[in-house]
Amino acid sequence: MKKFSWTPYLLLLPSLLYLVIFFAYPMYESFRLAFQKDSAILSLRDEPDENAELGGQVKLQTIVTILDRLQLEETLPNGRIRPIFWFQVEGEDINGNTVTGWVNQKSVFIENRRTSETARVVAGEPTKEWTTDFAERMFNDYRFKRALITTLILIVLILPLQFTLAIIMGLIIQSRIRGSNIFLYIYAIPLGVSDLASGILWYSIFTQRGFLNSFLDTVGLIDKPYIFIQASNREWMIAAIVLAEVWRATSIVMVIVVSGLQAISRDYMEAGEVFGATLWQRIRYIILPLLKPSLQVALILRTILAFQVFAVVVAITGGDVLTVLANETYRWYDPARYNNANVAAVYALFIMVLSLGISLFYLRAVRSQEEASKNL
Amino acid sequence: MFKATRHLIILLVVMSFIGGAIATAQDDNKVTFISTQFNVVEESDKARAIFEGFEDGTVEFVPSEEGPALDLLKAEGETGEGVNDVVGALHGTFPTLVTNDLMFDLTDLLAEIEAEYDVNDDFVALGKMGTEDYQYYIPWMQATYTMAAHQDALQYLPEGADINALTWEQLAAWAKNMYDATGEAKLGFPVAGLFHRFLEGYAWPSFTGGMVTQFKSQAAIDMLVFFRDQLWPYVNPESINYDFMNEPLLSGEVLVAFDHVARLKPAFDAEPENFVAFPAPAGPAGRGYMPVVVGLGIPFTSPNPDSAEEFIRFLLSPETQSQILAELGFYPVISEVDMTNLPEGVAIQAAAVLAQQNSEDAIPSLLPVGLGDRGGEINQIFRDAFTRVVVDGEDAATVLEEQGGVLQTLMTETGAACWAPDPVSEGPCQVE
Repeated sequence: MKKFSWTPYLLLLPSLLYLVIFFAYPMYESFRLAFQKDSAILSLRDEPDENAELGGQVKLQTIVTILDRLQLEETLPNGRIRPIFWFQVEGEDINGNTVTGWVNQKSVFIENRRTSETARVVAGEPTKEWTTDFAERMFNDYRFKRALITTLILIVLILPLQFTLAIIMGLIIQSRIRGSNIFLYIYAIPLGVSDLASGILWYSIFTQRGFLNSFLDTVGLIDKPYIFIQASNREWMIAAIVLAEVWRATSIVMVIVVSGLQAISRDYMEAGEVFGATLWQRIRYIILPLLKPSLQVALILRTILAFQVFAVVVAITGGDVLTVLANETYRWYDPARYNNANVAAVYALFIMVLSLGISLFYLRAVRSQEEASKNL
Repeated sequence: MFKATRHLIILLVVMSFIGGAIATAQDDNKVTFISTQFNVVEESDKARAIFEGFEDGTVEFVPSEEGPALDLLKAEGETGEGVNDVVGALHGTFPTLVTNDLMFDLTDLLAEIEAEYDVNDDFVALGKMGTEDYQYYIPWMQATYTMAAHQDALQYLPEGADINALTWEQLAAWAKNMYDATGEAKLGFPVAGLFHRFLEGYAWPSFTGGMVTQFKSQAAIDMLVFFRDQLWPYVNPESINYDFMNEPLLSGEVLVAFDHVARLKPAFDAEPENFVAFPAPAGPAGRGYMPVVVGLGIPFTSPNPDSAEEFIRFLLSPETQSQILAELGFYPVISEVDMTNLPEGVAIQAAAVLAQQNSEDAIPSLLPVGLGDRGGEINQIFRDAFTRVVVDGEDAATVLEEQGGVLQTLMTETGAACWAPDPVSEGPCQVE
């Protein structure tokens, strides 16, 4: 029997650790964020002390009566004295019974720490109960459906365009015509441009005083600027986003296509030529089938990225009239807007599930064809 | 060899002690000032130059975005050790600091400052964050929103309209005149920017007299219909992408605009001869306007609270306040500031701000109070109501009923009482 060897597992360990620390753990945390309610209940203490026995449990926003108060002091490292108040309160607990106990000032809103007779419970301990509240909020938000539809429309419009263009570009580079290599460098330029920059670039083309309007004006086609980007003109907004995305991200598909093309042995092409196949026949029956694994990779990559489209959309449309899933995720996360990381986490998970589902679908679709061909 | 190494180590240890001592000696009067305001490079530079006038120590100015600043301060609170001495932030940033119990009570410092200067009482009250006896922040500076117009637009003003006392009907007629004459919609709103403040502080109060209580009233329905039918057709459709209105004003894309004074300021600085500033229009209920307040607080973890207090005194002195107005466009919160001798553009804006504040039908509408860290949600509720009715053409009554329900849930869940212009309420504010 072969001796068990630890070596391969040790070699795998660093990348396993990497995956656990940077992927599995954050994913678990965002799952928790999405489906766990953090703080809903305040536990009263038997004594005015953080470590005292827990007493009754009170819901947030309950108004409690103050029976007694205690002012403690803490000397801070900077030398100042910080007063800390504890209140003995009486209120209704989660089961409707009257309970009394002590709370720290942190947990209640109180108008006047020294004289007020009532306080409102505003903070509690993480109760960690599982909930679908946040998911419901996402599905019930009127923007959710719009964002999903716009994202899907963009995918349906952008992907076929990108793949057709990328294959054509790849074929041009592979054609070995004199100077065809220079195209590789030209095509690759947008790869170096960030998505936000390309969004702003295309916005400056389509805006009221933008390049397109100046051009149309110079050639005399219009006498006043036409406003492409406006709420009653969603088709133009979509068109502008599609153009920006195609311009920006087609070259990454092209790079994959070119590497796939280079892996195709010249023998096949020469055989095709010997038997008199036309260019179209060679593309249809030789290149495309052999390119399928590369296209599959590119397709998965591009679809996942298309679900995350964000900066281009916001730069071109402002993100309010037209919105996409990633923009909604940020809208919920943003402290200046919803400031609700829980719903944002649900959005993030939703995008991940969509991406996962579509990747599995692609993998399966391509594999079953291969298997089907084996059975022939 | 061994001896040499040992000597080297001893030397290094001694040096690091001396170095540490020197560093702490320098730290004695150092104030680290973290601020969510002036975090644009040009503004940061101007602010730093102003803070150099602080004579009782050195100021390290750390401009930051709101999110990272809050994370940093929360982390400092948790570890009990910090580097930040003074926090400068919008009123709306403080609730998170308050719920995390991070800030000193500045009642005593404020009393000392008030003995010297007259600090705006409304803002002092806001700085208590709904309590009676805890001054979470001391007001630092204020701003508001006004209208601005290019001189070229004035010829289209409807007959009999006084630019300093416009009504919404007159503004709509003005926008229509410009549209008829130029063929373009020349009125602009910062829909991608601070538009929610327009809705909360100007639109609803002007038409309904309230913000939350009157959210879905008949007057609110009428207002949205008015916006949809009479105003929005003459508003530049690119407004959905406008963030700062100074740019479209300077480029001529719009001739009349509404925005935050600091976001209009570059236009007035660049071409003071070409622009006029004037108060926001009045509606059936009055002239709603929203003062914005920026406050100063000291976190418990401040390594140098004494210098922090000195620095706050410095920031509230008339000299600093007037420098900030002249160079950064934020208005004083004390009444002792000399308002003459301002740069030309600032003077034009200051006149409009005062006219708006002092107009007879003014309805001051405060920023939301008591929503805690859910303060951003109310902005989305107002924006959604507006977008759905005016931009997407949904039925006003239905949308307001729906959004009103969301607004009520927010009020009930946060337990927030009504704030101005709504009448004071016992318990959570109610949408009528």
